Amino acid sequence: MSSKAPEQKRKFRFLPEGTSLHKLSAVATLLVLIFAFSFTSPAFFTVNNGLTVLLQTSVIGLLAIGMTMVIITGGIDLSVGSILALAGVIAGLTIKIGLPVAPAMALGVFTGAACGFVNGMVIAKMRITPFVATLGMMLIARGIALQLTGAAPISRLGEAFGVLGNGALFRIVEMQDNGFPKVIFPGIPYPAILLLVMAVLGWYLLQKRQFGRHIFSVGSNEEAARLSGVNVDRTKIWAYTTSGALAGIAGMVLMSRLVTVQPNEGVMYELDAIAASVIGGASLMGGVGSISGSMIGAFIIGVLRNGLNMAGTSAFIQMIIIGIVVIGAVYIDQIRNKN
Amino acid sequence: MLDSVQISQPLVEMDNIVKTFGGIHAVEGVSTDLYSGEVVGVLGHNGAGKSCLMRILSGAMRANSGEIRVNGQTVDMKSPQDAREFGIETIYQTLALANHLDAPANLFMGRELKTRFGNLDDKRMLSEATEAIRQLNPNFKNLRDPVARLSGGQRQVIAIARAIYFQAKILIMDEPTAALGPSETAMVADLIVRLKNEGIGIYLISHDMHDVFELCDRVMVMNKGRNVGAFRIEDVNKDDVLSLIIKGTLPDSWEPRGGAE
Ligand SMILES: Nc1ncnc2c1ncn2[C@@H]1O[C@H](COP(=O)(O)OP(=O)(O)OP(=O)(O)O)[C@@H](O)[C@H]1O
Ligand SMILES: [Mg+2]
Repeated sequence: MSSKAPEQKRKFRFLPEGTSLHKLSAVATLLVLIFAFSFTSPAFFTVNNGLTVLLQTSVIGLLAIGMTMVIITGGIDLSVGSILALAGVIAGLTIKIGLPVAPAMALGVFTGAACGFVNGMVIAKMRITPFVATLGMMLIARGIALQLTGAAPISRLGEAFGVLGNGALFRIVEMQDNGFPKVIFPGIPYPAILLLVMAVLGWYLLQKRQFGRHIFSVGSNEEAARLSGVNVDRTKIWAYTTSGALAGIAGMVLMSRLVTVQPNEGVMYELDAIAASVIGGASLMGGVGSISGSMIGAFIIGVLRNGLNMAGTSAFIQMIIIGIVVIGAVYIDQIRNKN
Repeated sequence: MLDSVQISQPLVEMDNIVKTFGGIHAVEGVSTDLYSGEVVGVLGHNGAGKSCLMRILSGAMRANSGEIRVNGQTVDMKSPQDAREFGIETIYQTLALANHLDAPANLFMGRELKTRFGNLDDKRMLSEATEAIRQLNPNFKNLRDPVARLSGGQRQVIAIARAIYFQAKILIMDEPTAALGPSETAMVADLIVRLKNEGIGIYLISHDMHDVFELCDRVMVMNKGRNVGAFRIEDVNKDDVLSLIIKGTLPDSWEPRGGAE
């Protein structure tokens, strides 16, 4: 039993050793980006812009948590951008017919979960590949969102609707003598807090619960998982439902920040979420991935977008750059798998 | 004689099992039984249908027709979980391991140990797995490595440890020693004898004649999906068995070799 001690010291190591190396290089990339952008635009490295990045990243980050779970099962979820919009539309419409904000938002999140559940059922029971199933849901959810609203935004949703996206904890504002408010401490934005809470929950689910272990088992070797008594279908259905619910939450945050429901919001957000997960070390082959990695990935995407904006890069050039980053990240993933 | 009446209830009876894949007849009307405390060897050439027959018993595959009885009760194995409820554990030829997970995670896959709060009890799973695995291979060190990085023999040891950890009544071993070195093979042979003496019924698929004659009480030979012969081990020799495996018939000169009796 003498050799037992060193083994137990190396904890939480059922993921490949490359994972920590990968995370380290992702953090380094993030720092390099921040450093570079601080030079190109002086307004980048400021508290206010930091908060903006945090806000922008919270949406990608929320999507990336669910996406990571789905990717670890060996699947993919292309529908989160559309689900986000549909969830927002449901919340907006129910507020318009008189529902208070909180239950309306809960209904929005539930809508997201329901869409994810349908994804899971189609994939597990109808045996449609995740790519096709969620591509279908991408069109269906977007179609419903546009149909319900006639493609028009829903505005005048009231101040309470904007709290989640624009409010902050510990915000300190002082009235000045000249009658203008002065922000002493901008506070911690609610979306950032929400992201943190969800990330910790996601980490707990993946690393500490049977559900998470089954997600890894299914993605690593589906047949082995089935033979070992893992309920493969149920695991997949719950993974997609979680992803859908998180897309719903992301939708609430985004629409609340705009204080308007835009049925055509969130187009191609799934690609940002997938990129965040893959940059963070998740493998599209399944069986590998982590929430912490995906959060770093989300911040890399968020900083990249924000920095390019600040530097005055056009939206078209941004698309090109993000496209290259996604291909690069998947390429690295492949090289990693070969070793 | 009285003794044999009392133990005459077989643990497992498989009756007229048929399994086809499109035009391929993998298993064609095979019947077999297994008693408590005996080892039955399942032999046959590659593709004879041995694994299919055993996968049907372990719930991993559904037969087209036929009946399975466990302790005399007709059962319907819809899934590996069903089989486990009857105490059937299987070491699959493919090992059925999740490459990205470590040995304890694989050993407890689908049956994870949990703490009071329902969280995974990784600590206990590690210590239990360490104990179970070291019984088979005392030199096993890298328990926390993903099993993808382990040797074929180490992977096989994990698969074996998983099957015996949960106290099977019926054990199916599909070529359990294919990747093992001589000392591990000997360890598994000892293990089989020990389990048999504890009253466990074992189906052993093997291509190794030496092992078969050493360990089995009875053998069943499959050829092109059919059961071409089931004998007590004393009644046949290696040449008889080889003839059955290759040609599907006994040598013309065969008569029961007659061990005891
Ligand atoms: N999932 C499957 N789909 C189609 N055909 C299959 C499947 N599994 C097995 N077969 C076929 O059934 C036949 C029996 O296969 P089986 O695996 O039972 O052979 P085996 O006796 O275990 O051989 P080996 O000694 O090589 O392990 C083979 O012809 C095989 O090709
Ligand atoms: Mg076989």
